Amino acid sequence: MENQAQIFIIGISHTTAPVEIREQVALNTDEQKELIGVLLQQFEIDGCMVISTCNRTEVYISSEDFNNKTEGIRNRLNTFKNCNHFTNPQYAYFLQGTEAIKHFFKVISGMDSLIIGETQITSQVKECYNLAHKVNGTDTWLNKLINYGLQAEKKVRSETFLNNGAVSISYAGVELARKLFNKLETKSALLIGAGETGELAARHFADKGVKNIHIVNRTLKKAVDLAKKFGGNAHPLEELAEILPKVDIVISATSSDTFVVTKQIMQTVVKQRQNTPLFLIDLAIPRDIDPQISSLNGIFLYNIDNLHQIVQMNIEKRKSEIPKSIKIIDNFVVEFYKWISTNSIAYYIIKIRNHFEKLRQAELKRLKKRLPENGFGEIDYLTQSIVNKIIHQHIVSLKNSVGDPTRYQQHIDFVNNLYQLEEKK
Amino acid sequence: MKLFSYVLNFLIPLLYLALVYVYYTLFSGKKKRLLKKTTPMLILLILIHLTEIITRHLVLNTMPLSTTHDAFSFLAFAILLVYAIIELSLNNRASGIFILAFAFLISLIASFFPSWESETNELLLKSSFALHASMAIIGYTALSLSAIYALMYIIQNRNMKKLKFGLMFTQLPALNYLETMSIRSVLIGIILLGLGILHGHFQAKELLGEFWPVDIKVIVMDIVWLVYFCSYLLMRLKKWGGLWMAYLSLSGFFILVVGGILTIYITESFHKFY
Repeated sequence: MENQAQIFIIGISHTTAPVEIREQVALNTDEQKELIGVLLQQFEIDGCMVISTCNRTEVYISSEDFNNKTEGIRNRLNTFKNCNHFTNPQYAYFLQGTEAIKHFFKVISGMDSLIIGETQITSQVKECYNLAHKVNGTDTWLNKLINYGLQAEKKVRSETFLNNGAVSISYAGVELARKLFNKLETKSALLIGAGETGELAARHFADKGVKNIHIVNRTLKKAVDLAKKFGGNAHPLEELAEILPKVDIVISATSSDTFVVTKQIMQTVVKQRQNTPLFLIDLAIPRDIDPQISSLNGIFLYNIDNLHQIVQMNIEKRKSEIPKSIKIIDNFVVEFYKWISTNSIAYYIIKIRNHFEKLRQAELKRLKKRLPENGFGEIDYLTQSIVNKIIHQHIVSLKNSVGDPTRYQQHIDFVNNLYQLEEKK
Repeated sequence: MKLFSYVLNFLIPLLYLALVYVYYTLFSGKKKRLLKKTTPMLILLILIHLTEIITRHLVLNTMPLSTTHDAFSFLAFAILLVYAIIELSLNNRASGIFILAFAFLISLIASFFPSWESETNELLLKSSFALHASMAIIGYTALSLSAIYALMYIIQNRNMKKLKFGLMFTQLPALNYLETMSIRSVLIGIILLGLGILHGHFQAKELLGEFWPVDIKVIVMDIVWLVYFCSYLLMRLKKWGGLWMAYLSLSGFFILVVGGILTIYITESFHKFY
């Protein structure tokens, strides 16, 4: 196993660069494979993984020595993508050690995403890792990093509300509807208008199990075309009043200048529905549904501002969960360091032991001629015992500092300086 | 044994309060990790409360529902038990704060009546009394739950109508779920309380020789049951909406509680036959 390896990241993300830059540095799967191969070969690094999504391109590298490699890698990335963004401090960032690990845990948990708490990033990271693994790009450190990252992500999702609540207007409609009907699978929906906005909202409802979807449009052909997509029924606008009593959910998004659903129509509908609740979302501007109908019994009407209010509330809620999530992630960073340290301890113990053993052997060799032959075995045993006792103190001290990365590093530095271990390597 | 039961009598309301606090923290969205811990806590409290009921039964050597304390204590226990079943079967904890807060109040009332004398009334010493009392108490439990669901329905309906998308809106279940649970509980309550009342009348006929004994509790309960029954029938026939039904359920429960408290103060025991 490699020792003293460090993880570092060179990246460009939505936090540092606009979309025009991000799209220039994005890497498809073939490019990712090629880049991993190039970096592994050219820079003698131990592991490499590339995360490339629409919001970020990050290169994760594990290597024993990175100080004299980073510039070379950044330049190589520039050459690879034919740009100069990876050396531009305005767009590109370089993270190492604890910072890099913490950043990765934040990325995989969705905390560093454009939409805080989004879950898609986790599967994207997994895919990138699998790709790197396939081309032998991952080493023990990166394998362990993803392992701890997934554990951190799971804990963040299960113990915080970071990914709760809709954060898009169209999905907020579904969330609201679920506060009226707990099972959408048994409900039927009506889409008024065959435009893109309505279609997107209707798609969310269909995804949540709403099977019976009616589409009403002024131009019947458009309604028919859209109905085919949902496996629903198309109707001309004139049939609106007949369909309204039969459905549970209404999504309206037309470009009409006047109300399509008036209070007059709804008064009749309410009577026909006999207190069965009706959920309506008006996504149109100017509005399609007369707001006065919300005073009618069993009518639940929401417009685009109301949905926006829900989205804002959910975003705020997610933001408020960040400190809690950071705490979880910090614990995992410590755990990861403990693992690194535990693995490094063995390396240093061997180094220290070798150091003392060499000293012991040299002294024994020097004194061998002057010592009586029959007493040499006892002296050999005695020196061995003294060396073991000295090494034992180091083992105890190193193990005690494992939980504290700073203290551990100080200890390692001290031992290194004292016995000149690295120079001898 | 008596000391142990005495300690439990005061400990149980505190444990209910602690559980209510746990559900409050969940409701306020503060500690998501508590989600997995509520069921063991519920089971533990069920076992402790059951121990209290059994201990009292052994100490007093009488039917477990024969005193005011026992009746209220059993009512709190039944609410807790029913809620545990709801939580386990539907995996929904949002109603916990409401239902358990109510159970806490009932257990608190029970702890104010720590009677150590068992009922001596001949009717209450009959073993079949347990059946009558059990059905009546489970009936009360169902009606209490219906009222709690109705209250949640009213709150959530208001949130949705007035666009109040705060904590209550987020945490409370869907309106039609609350409506279904409230109506279902009312139906169970009407059936079980009805059977309990009917059984009680037959017992009175057998022991006292009259089907309608002059007892304030019997009169109040008969009226309350009739109100519930007629409301339910009307709701079904007239297809009243969830909001109407919620108000009816709450009103019925109000009459039930007021009637219950009045009878406790008017009569010296759980039943007073003249």
